[in-house]
Amino acid sequence: MGRLSGHVAFVSGAAQGMGAAHARRLAAEGALVAVNDRVASPALDELAHEIGGLPVPADMADREAVFAGLDRASEHLGDVDIVVANHAYMSMSDFLDHDEDDWWRVIDTNLGGTFWLIQAALPRMRRRGAGRVVIISSEWGQIGWPQATAYSASKAGLISLTKTLGRELAREHIIVNAIAPGVTDTPQLQVDADAAGVTLAAMHEEYAATIPLGRIGAPEDIAAAVAFLADFRMEALVGQVVSVNGGSTRTRA
Amino acid sequence: MSQRVALVSGAASGIGRAIAAELSDRGWAVLGVDLGPAPHCAISVEVDVTDFAGVARAVRQAEQQLGPVEAAVSAAGHYAIVPISEIDPSAWLRMLRVHLGGLAAITRAVLPGMVQRGSGTIVAVTSELAIGGGDSDSHYASAKGAVIGFVRSLAAEVAPQGVRINAVAPGPTDTPLLAADSPWRAPEYLSTLPIGRLVRPDEVALCTAALIEELPFCVGEIISPNAGAVI
Repeated sequence: MGRLSGHVAFVSGAAQGMGAAHARRLAAEGALVAVNDRVASPALDELAHEIGGLPVPADMADREAVFAGLDRASEHLGDVDIVVANHAYMSMSDFLDHDEDDWWRVIDTNLGGTFWLIQAALPRMRRRGAGRVVIISSEWGQIGWPQATAYSASKAGLISLTKTLGRELAREHIIVNAIAPGVTDTPQLQVDADAAGVTLAAMHEEYAATIPLGRIGAPEDIAAAVAFLADFRMEALVGQVVSVNGGSTRTRA
Repeated sequence: MSQRVALVSGAASGIGRAIAAELSDRGWAVLGVDLGPAPHCAISVEVDVTDFAGVARAVRQAEQQLGPVEAAVSAAGHYAIVPISEIDPSAWLRMLRVHLGGLAAITRAVLPGMVQRGSGTIVAVTSELAIGGGDSDSHYASAKGAVIGFVRSLAAEVAPQGVRINAVAPGPTDTPLLAADSPWRAPEYLSTLPIGRLVRPDEVALCTAALIEELPFCVGEIISPNAGAVI
């Protein structure tokens, strides 16, 4: 019996990287887990199989698809009472050059998609009398980053969403918090390295040099914080942002 | 296998006691430090945390018996609501000596060993009032704010050597530090809190234990189980 036995989690953006780590960790703690990604894939199916969960592909930017996904997860696994909003779309560009449609795609996916996801899950959490929402923001949502206006704005918006829903839902035992990961070793890093024209190893080293702990984060580091914030024994921690970044910011929200 | 050893100051009551109980439940041998005897502890030492030499001596003796201290929690503290003009020098000094000095004394006693072994972790208990401030809380908030500055700086200094420093910042918690007639217990105040009640000591203990053994990539971080008092 893990500390999350009897609970049902929905993890968005779980085909790889951090989302897959969250799903594995929550399952290891005893939860039934629906794993979502934008499209169906062998990786998503394999992960679901591995952890005894359910693959639920759906584009989080599509409100109807999100609601249908939550329905499907709850029909198969029981009412979802843990939501981990992990999905994200990242696109970097000089501010004036950023294509308008692409700029909005970042916002609509990251901020809008999380909004729909929580909307879809709330009636189920209310029916169960309690819920936990863990929103994955970003260090860049706290401190900003050049060429990342859309991404940083979307992630800062998630922090405000966390604070507001933290206040709005706590009396119903639905506890909303966020995590702001620092640089973490996920497939996105290879994409960033390619875009910058450097090797992945060089990218690791460059980032690690800015982190007091001397390394970048592992997906499991972030997943551990997800499990901590999904703990139903605690309600006093609410509306907060937990930075998991090896000391790079030392608490700036 | 021998038990891992954790020092907890203020272990005799309130938040410190809950932390000692949680760590003990998780298999730690707890070295409790307080002015009086502390339950849930493998060893309970009666010493004033403002006494640097006394704390160092207690740690040395306990380590001979239990082994090296791998985690330390500074939870000793006292609280008083006093308007600024009524805070006299002795009240001001005592507030700083207990909260900031107590943390410094513990750190001086356990940090060298942690650095030498290349691992270890310290959690300071600060306060929501250090972040949001409060009416007539100036000396308490000053001391707890100083704790935050200490934690952030020390975290940057010793993380490269494998030692993690973090803090928890509880909101008003249901402990003996809050008198029965404390304004923090008034229904009118509690109704302003998002969760509608005081923080329970065991909730602070869960956050503290998580910083010690579940969150290895948190450094210089402040976790705020504050009932939503400061969001």
